[in-house]
Amino acid sequence: MEDYFSYTKKLFDPSTIKDKPEVFKGIKVLDFSHVIFGPVAARILAQYGAEVFKIEMPFVGDLWRFGVYWGKFWKHSSVCFHFVHYNKYFLSINLKSPKAKELIYKLAEQADVVVENFAAGTAEAWGVGYSQLSKVNPKIIYLSCATYGQYGPLRFFPGWDLLAQAASGAISLTGYPGTDKYYKLPDYLGDYFPGNVGALSLVMALYHRKKTGKGQYIDLAQSEALMRILPNFTYFSITNQELERVGNTDPTMAPSGIFKSRDGKFVALAAATDEQLKALFSAMGQKKLISEYKDSFDRLHPKNSRELHRIAEEWVSKRDSAEIVNLAKEYGFPVAEVMDDFQIANDEWRRQRGSVIAFKDDIYRQFVLPGPSAMLSKTPGRVKWLARPLGYHNRYILKTFFGLSEEQIKRLEKERVIGYWDDRPGIKPPVYYDIEKDPIFNYQDDARGRQNE
Amino acid sequence: MNKAKDKPQEQVLVRYGISRREREQFLASMMSPEGKPEVLSDVVVLDASYANFSGIIAASLFAEFGAEVIKVEPPEGDPARKITPYGAKVNGVGIPFLMEARNKRYLTLDVRTDAGRKDFKKLAAKADVLIETYPAGQMDAWEIGYRQLSEANPGLIYAAITPYGQYTDRAKEFNNIPDSDITSQAASGLAANIGDPDISPEPYNWPFRAGAWIGWYISGLEAALGGAIALVYKEDTGEGQMIDVASADAYASLVGYPVFIGYTWEKARPRLGRHDFTLYPYGFWKSKDGIVAIAAPRDHDFRALLKILKLWKIEDDWRFTFDRITDMLDQIEKLYGLIEAETVKYTSDELIGKALQYSIKAARSKWRGGGVPIIMKVQKPSDIMKNPHWNIRKAFQEFEDKKLGKFIIPTNFIKMSESPPRVKWISCDIGQDNKYIRKKYLSD
Repeated sequence: MEDYFSYTKKLFDPSTIKDKPEVFKGIKVLDFSHVIFGPVAARILAQYGAEVFKIEMPFVGDLWRFGVYWGKFWKHSSVCFHFVHYNKYFLSINLKSPKAKELIYKLAEQADVVVENFAAGTAEAWGVGYSQLSKVNPKIIYLSCATYGQYGPLRFFPGWDLLAQAASGAISLTGYPGTDKYYKLPDYLGDYFPGNVGALSLVMALYHRKKTGKGQYIDLAQSEALMRILPNFTYFSITNQELERVGNTDPTMAPSGIFKSRDGKFVALAAATDEQLKALFSAMGQKKLISEYKDSFDRLHPKNSRELHRIAEEWVSKRDSAEIVNLAKEYGFPVAEVMDDFQIANDEWRRQRGSVIAFKDDIYRQFVLPGPSAMLSKTPGRVKWLARPLGYHNRYILKTFFGLSEEQIKRLEKERVIGYWDDRPGIKPPVYYDIEKDPIFNYQDDARGRQNE
Repeated sequence: MNKAKDKPQEQVLVRYGISRREREQFLASMMSPEGKPEVLSDVVVLDASYANFSGIIAASLFAEFGAEVIKVEPPEGDPARKITPYGAKVNGVGIPFLMEARNKRYLTLDVRTDAGRKDFKKLAAKADVLIETYPAGQMDAWEIGYRQLSEANPGLIYAAITPYGQYTDRAKEFNNIPDSDITSQAASGLAANIGDPDISPEPYNWPFRAGAWIGWYISGLEAALGGAIALVYKEDTGEGQMIDVASADAYASLVGYPVFIGYTWEKARPRLGRHDFTLYPYGFWKSKDGIVAIAAPRDHDFRALLKILKLWKIEDDWRFTFDRITDMLDQIEKLYGLIEAETVKYTSDELIGKALQYSIKAARSKWRGGGVPIIMKVQKPSDIMKNPHWNIRKAFQEFEDKKLGKFIIPTNFIKMSESPPRVKWISCDIGQDNKYIRKKYLSD
């Protein structure tokens, strides 16, 4: 029989992804959302083939177009914005004008999914809420994302990922016990994780619609998505004690922690089961300890786990990290070196796997962005293009989708129903790129027609 | 505070023809799961995960959406039953295992034996989704891998979760290293971005583990998401496929920051402790009676924050986003201190009230510039469970089991009007459904 790893290599080969089918081909998504929480859910559908129309205000644009780390724009754009918006169509339509609403309703008639993340009730007030769009298209699947959800006394409270982390109790868990050190979950995890939960709910709703033909309304509160992953509530209801900050360890495994090795690297090490603990003690040459700590529950008791933590810390501090990794490979216990941003971006394994993708874009040229951690063998996700300047696909969509003529589009531009960027990084194209010659931006048209440049 | 907050909003809604209470009741009844169909009512999921919660979590998500989930474990039980904070247990079951025992069937079947594998093959022939967490190639060597099972059942969706995946040289080389949450956090870039800055004393400046199973929950969610996408494809074509989840990718693939900052900045970010590297102020401060999270990153939000804290005198120094970027740590520590000197004068509720009142007025005034400073109490689980908001939204549900007693779990985290996920029962005795499963799937 063929070797397993050469079989799987063929099954998942990243170079064949572009020839494989897309699950959501033909699914149309109307994306009113901004920043991260909503857009990520829509982008995941785009990753697997859906056509996502991202609607932004002319000359304003999504707030996250300016969400740059330490003020550093990359080719006049935000790298974070590229990640939450690849494969989307960028429409810049002024929702306040009645003519724009006609366009939106026409889109909604044919759309399958709508995503929004305004404060609760705002979409309704603007005429694009579920109650209105479901009249235009009863089969629509409508996802409303908010920090506290669409009903309940807190629903009018505005929110960001940080506030969801505070309200769900996630912040109260990370830090050193007995000090004033708390840490939030970094990188807006409180947006990304619930955003992926939103994508799951959309896929489930699409599946349901395939079977029954029914659309539906989804109310997703990011705080609730975060609460779902915390054991503290159940822990409290059973033990009547708070699960406080636990320090640099996992209280469900002993030993477990992030330790410093002899060569100054950081190594995460854990033993979750009897088997793994046996492997660890064997690697340490301390087999006599196996019988001492054989009870799985008992060794998690703080006095025992502290002792195990100390033993592991001391052992790691006397060895180089490479040696520890080799012992883990040989004996079979969980170990991983702490990887930082630079190592991850340049990791050979991730490049081979396709979880870090070197991508060549028509406008932004070479870029490296993350692939999914779940690879699908037959219908993989893929990157087709990065985010685009504000209103980039206006002309393309208005002509191909709505069948508008050049004159009609010019009138819309004049009436400020649609619009483009102004001279700010984040919403304009990179300085080296000649947008006037771009075949999509100037779809079947010469550049002279445009007003707002 | 509440009265002042509610009044203007009432008017807004009346203007659009719905009263506050009507909208509330309408939505609450719309989202109630009672009597509604379940999305995955005709889907069978086999959970063969072993000592790995990401598999259990993925299976839970399928079960909440209505699938028949069969947890396959050896006669002595999955070691995951004993993975629990500080060894806390109920009737021999750890708390995380109990919390994830949602709508599942428990079957004892030992895939390490020939007889067990024979039954497993029969089950897999009738399953739609299979989840496993053994070392890459282990199931294949047992002849119950994707390669063998998909021959008898081409519609099978086979999700495997391991640290380094099913293909590439590293997957093969690191095959023997088991998965755990803390190693997933470390390998995927989460730990490196939590902790105090370099200048702090050791060990506070070390990489730090997030205090929840972030690694395992991401892998579980991504496996379920991949599985759901594969189910849609199966509905169209009848074809199944293999899903390969690498837990060493979990965090980096979800949030992306480690990858694109590593690439564009060409170095690793330093750890920033309590600060954020994109937005400021965006963190937490002491109040008179606890800790509050404050987000006021846009310039107009920041101005509003200064107004409500009576700090307007410092506005000139910190006016623009670029004055407040956290690349100069001393600078930002200084601003942190200035803000904290004011926040400790008020209780958390006072601060929240001030921010809300300002926001409501600002929304109506052309002079106030629409700034929205957002303040929220950093809450502990016991406070959160008392909050009427989550009560109305049924975010927590109490269960009672003969053997497990009474307990509360967080649930109903996705509200859907037609086919909401739900938790129907929680119980997880080893082999409790042997008879039922054997009769239903293994009798022929």
